[in-house]
Amino acid sequence: MRRVMVVGAGMTRFGRSSETLSQLMCLSSMAALRDAHLGEYPVDGVVVANMGAARINRQTAIASALVDRLNLFPATAETVENGPASGSSAFKVGYQAVAAGMADVVLVTGVEKMRAVNNLEGTDFVASMSHPEAEYIYGVTLPSLAGMFARMVMERYGVTRRHLALVAIKNHANALRNPYAHIQQAITLEGILEAPEAIVNNPPIAEPLHLFDCCPVSDGAASLVLAAEDVAEKLGKAGIVVAGIGQATDTHAVHERPEPTRLTAVEVAAERAFTMAGTSRDEVDVVELHDAFTILEIVQSEAAGFFPQGEGHLALERGETAFDGSLPINPSGGLKARGHPVGATGMAQLVELTWQLRGDAGERQVQGARCGFACNFGGFGNNVVTTLLRREDR
Amino acid sequence: MAGTGDLEALLRPPAMDMPPYPPKAVTLASGERMVVRQASREEVPILLEAIAPLLWVERDFYDVVAARLFGELLAYKRYRVRDEYVLVGLIDGVLAGIVNGRAVDAETGMSYHTITIRRGLRVGSHLFAAKMEYHVEYLGEKEVLIVAESPIGFRRWMIEYPLSKKYEVQHELGGVPSWVLPRDTYFDAKPRLVSGTRPVPDELLRGAETIVLPGDDTVRRQVTGERGGVECAE
Amino acid sequence: MSSDAVLASRCTACGAVSYPQHCLCPSCGGERFEPTPVEGEGTVVSYTDLYALAIDFEQRFLRLAMVELDSGVRATGQLLHETPAIGTRVKATIGVVRRQGETKIRGLQFVPV
Repeated sequence: MRRVMVVGAGMTRFGRSSETLSQLMCLSSMAALRDAHLGEYPVDGVVVANMGAARINRQTAIASALVDRLNLFPATAETVENGPASGSSAFKVGYQAVAAGMADVVLVTGVEKMRAVNNLEGTDFVASMSHPEAEYIYGVTLPSLAGMFARMVMERYGVTRRHLALVAIKNHANALRNPYAHIQQAITLEGILEAPEAIVNNPPIAEPLHLFDCCPVSDGAASLVLAAEDVAEKLGKAGIVVAGIGQATDTHAVHERPEPTRLTAVEVAAERAFTMAGTSRDEVDVVELHDAFTILEIVQSEAAGFFPQGEGHLALERGETAFDGSLPINPSGGLKARGHPVGATGMAQLVELTWQLRGDAGERQVQGARCGFACNFGGFGNNVVTTLLRREDR
Repeated sequence: MAGTGDLEALLRPPAMDMPPYPPKAVTLASGERMVVRQASREEVPILLEAIAPLLWVERDFYDVVAARLFGELLAYKRYRVRDEYVLVGLIDGVLAGIVNGRAVDAETGMSYHTITIRRGLRVGSHLFAAKMEYHVEYLGEKEVLIVAESPIGFRRWMIEYPLSKKYEVQHELGGVPSWVLPRDTYFDAKPRLVSGTRPVPDELLRGAETIVLPGDDTVRRQVTGERGGVECAE
Repeated sequence: MSSDAVLASRCTACGAVSYPQHCLCPSCGGERFEPTPVEGEGTVVSYTDLYALAIDFEQRFLRLAMVELDSGVRATGQLLHETPAIGTRVKATIGVVRRQGETKIRGLQFVPV
């Protein structure tokens, strides 16, 4: 297996966009390709991460379409669908091609154009990930699964609505430093929790989760260019190594999980990634977690092994996961404020880590970041992909 | 010129004695405080300027709402609609949203429109609720007739309050069958849906005396949410 | 799902009951199952009041729960209990859980014991 480097990165501003699906993936891809300065090196393969194009945008085989738009024929191409973990899964597929020696340069792009349909349609689309007979049919949606999960965790470990609010406030504040973030709006504890107006400002969505505990619906695309180590060296861009990738699955129906307060797939996936990388948790400087719901940031931070189980909210409270803390989580604003175009999110996490490790994260730069970890959470935690990127000085 | 005054009198509707809407302060999710107050006829020109850019935004029926609201505001200013009121939400004096309606008679209100300019902070929810508060608690009406142009937005009110059907009554907007918010339902919903504090502290109220226009680009961008072109890593 | 019961699968080899159905028994890998209704009393594992409703639902909120039945099987369904908590005792019944156009879909509704 060859070592694989990240040599190019780019993304679109997430949010409500007038661009089409095709335009989004082209813009993001072009930005990453420009950044890679490939010169004479061809792009051997294209992998596109996407969940909803067939249903929402009525388009299929979009990786082949991207090859066409970028005139990259006869490059290989695949579209990868793994729910909200599509981004990291596509990255894994691209990585495997290069590591196996089947490609020298691969472009990976995650894209989602959610806002081609209204909220009801969008909710139903996302709910289609749940178990059709045992969950979906009852009116279960992803927020309802998160709500039930949150209630159990809160009762068992003493996590409160205030802790959840702190996650949202932190991520909104972080996003103000991120020009690519969907939501550019500071929020306060008073406004979303303490004032009497909070009931209108922050109404319940799936109790105990409220509006500001849930990420927005966004359009956007994010891309990376992967290259084999020797190609990267020749490009003068050998610096960001894909150190580890770990993936794991869990039961489809959430009620079948032996321990429903644990994110077991996150635990296993993270362990696999850290083992592959030969890295310890202490070495990680910056983290991007999948806070589709605020509770998930807290529990993923434990399941990934950064804090003991049931203590993630304490670390949050102590400020450890703040931008200026000892382990900044979601300096980009996370899904909550950077936004969540489903197929693009996993890639956006890795673009952020790439920029952080290069020292290119501008105002949101985590000083001296050399090792970054991302967790991309598919379904309601039944398919999780985690990735470790590391910077090597050459 | 002798007849013009009589003609004007003919064309100007009689006016009910409508108590003013007492301003209130609403703390938003951002921690900012929005002042909700009544707008006067003199302030209509600035409101028209604010919503003009929306006349051409097709998404979510903004163009229809803006066009109808434009007409209603003009008619209010020029005394060509009966017993209309206009409420505005102001954040640091900057216009965040507009709601309007009118009193049909002592027992019945007719809700017209709700336009939100500052997005992401539930301004529309606060202002719609303020409108209902005005009709029920200050005008003393028994029910408020409501329809909307946008199906998605309307569904939320329909389910949230909830509203009841009153299909035998045609709403003035488009002549479609009405929904209604009865007084009792308003009071049941009030703890969940209506908030704010009175009186507004002097300094906050002073800051809300003059309506400040958001920039034209701001209005369009706020409303459509679009970031105007896609920027990627250089 | 038949109109009168929601069916779990009892493995004919080892007797373990799983719900929803898998192709192979999660306990022993067996391939043959007997249908067995999800029924009886149980305990609320968790619940939520969902306000952001799916298509087909027009009430103000929908109360959903995961319940562990005394038989050991867990299931997800609608919760028709006014004052639920984690640990509340409930009973599984079958009722109309969703209307899709003209079709009424029946499924698990958990009611007070």
